[in-house]
Amino acid sequence: MSTSLKIRKVHDYLFEIPPHGKMRVPARLYLDERSLRELVESQSSDEWNAVRQLENVACLPGIVKAAMAMADVHPGYGFPIGGVAAFDPKEGGVISVAGVGFDINCGVRCLRTHLTRSDIAGKEEKLADTLYEVIPAGLGSTGELKLSTKEIDRVLREGARYVVRLGYGREDDLEFVEEHGCLSDADPSVVSHTAKQRQMAQVGTLGSGNHYVEVQVVDQIYNARAAEAFGLEVGQIVVMLHTGSRALGHQIGTDYLPFLEKATKKYGIEVPDRELVCAPIESPEGQQYFRAVMAGANCAFANRQVLAHLVRQAFWKALRVPDTAIETLYEVAHNTVKWEVHEVDGERRRLLVHRKGSTRAFGPGRPELPERYRAVGQPVLVGGTMGTASYILVGTEQGMRETFGTALHGAGRAKSRRQAKRQYPADRIIEQLRKQGILVRAHGKASISEEAPGAYKDVEHVVEVMCNAGIVARVARLRPIVCLKG
Amino acid sequence: MPFEYLDHEADIGLEATGATLEETLRDGVRGLLALLVDPETVEPKEAVTIEASGEDPASLFVALLNAVLATVDLQRMFFRDFEVTRLERVDGHWVVEGRLYGEPIDLSRHAVEIEVKAATYGGLLGEQTDKGWRLRCVLDL
Repeated sequence: MSTSLKIRKVHDYLFEIPPHGKMRVPARLYLDERSLRELVESQSSDEWNAVRQLENVACLPGIVKAAMAMADVHPGYGFPIGGVAAFDPKEGGVISVAGVGFDINCGVRCLRTHLTRSDIAGKEEKLADTLYEVIPAGLGSTGELKLSTKEIDRVLREGARYVVRLGYGREDDLEFVEEHGCLSDADPSVVSHTAKQRQMAQVGTLGSGNHYVEVQVVDQIYNARAAEAFGLEVGQIVVMLHTGSRALGHQIGTDYLPFLEKATKKYGIEVPDRELVCAPIESPEGQQYFRAVMAGANCAFANRQVLAHLVRQAFWKALRVPDTAIETLYEVAHNTVKWEVHEVDGERRRLLVHRKGSTRAFGPGRPELPERYRAVGQPVLVGGTMGTASYILVGTEQGMRETFGTALHGAGRAKSRRQAKRQYPADRIIEQLRKQGILVRAHGKASISEEAPGAYKDVEHVVEVMCNAGIVARVARLRPIVCLKG
Repeated sequence: MPFEYLDHEADIGLEATGATLEETLRDGVRGLLALLVDPETVEPKEAVTIEASGEDPASLFVALLNAVLATVDLQRMFFRDFEVTRLERVDGHWVVEGRLYGEPIDLSRHAVEIEVKAATYGGLLGEQTDKGWRLRCVLDL
């Protein structure tokens, strides 16, 4: 690929493509030489190439500093997954559907329990079966919460707060959810009736694909001070859940794609890829899409809140663990667009930050963080695969300066779903994982083979790259015990 | 091949080819349906009419695929097959109407595969070739 010729090494863990063609800023990739080579050489198709997608993002109006990709970067649609881009409204900055994705505010909640590995020893099967029974997952599943469109409007306005009021979880969960589980700019009136109708039976469902609920054990602590603040110890059981805004978010993306395409033409914006359709942030169209996205985001907050409640129910049902023994450690999303203040070249600027498959990773002192964590920095939740570790990292000052306080969100896919399906029959994967002491329950077989550990990059390596680059620091490593898939 | 899945790291590419645009749209929808659930396990008991529009064949294709996904949720049905009943240009826009054949979701019988979140403009293509039509997009999984 010709792009490789233009890549400049900044340091061992950062490469830069200087602006060329219509690029307004450089493209930067947090990778080491090995992973850069793999990324460039192993692209499944020239039609959706992660490096080119990053260069395309760098062409968008009002982009500030650089289009950046984290170590888990892989091809997406429009934006690469693992990408972050910030836009300045004063410089004609834009908002883009592809920068958020269709699964608006998809993210991860980590629940910290008072249990240790020995408390659940011998009860793993029961826990796995109960999670499977209690948590609706997979295509076609419905949640126990059946809402009217009026109630859906409240979910869209009030997010996780609304479902807490309905009895799903506790007030103290919200303190540890990004934005306290509610974005105030949400406007249900700009969300279509179809979107709301699709969601009526889907609040409190997991979905499928890479979404999961996983019971894990803390197997290593790297940073005692941060671990203490996060309430983590070796041997402790935690639960990670990964899901998003379900059909409502998908429909908002669907509705606004042609809407923003019209806006792109109206404002004479040139986009290098049709998926990158966008509107100036301050235009009526840009504002409307933003308010719709905020509503979609609130739906995701509510969804994860209901699922956290269901996890507590399952632990009670299977092990008689009271719900007070399961607390929210943190929840943070990785498909977002948000207003944030960042210092760029010594100047504080209000920017619209798009994170597509990348996680907010704020360093110490930021007012957005819960008081308990403010001195150490934000917990960064990195989901591994069914068979490998996940990580809890912490944001750094350097990340604030370099990446708008952004880090990786997972291991990042290395093989296509079709390759994985051919290579990893579901039954064989389930058996292999069982031998490693990991129980898997899934509603669809495709979720197992397509999400097989071998389909992903090495999580240890991508985490190492981001830590060596100084963008995040390790706090704890988690090993899977039970995994529920859609 | 009427439809083909294309390798994509995170998602999947869907490409349909056919002699006419009607046929190509139909086969594209068939490709989508087969990703969701094994069509062999779905009985074509009921028909549901859907409609979609786009400013060109490529965006029409994406809009049609998204209309199918919405219909699965709204009707709580899985579908085995699809046919195009109307395709025309109205005021510079393409409009397609068709019928999906399927039945209410029964998870004890239907072999579900994977949820497709949406059809996107990623890798978008809608072109007339010397053999007919080629439509392509990336599906977000």
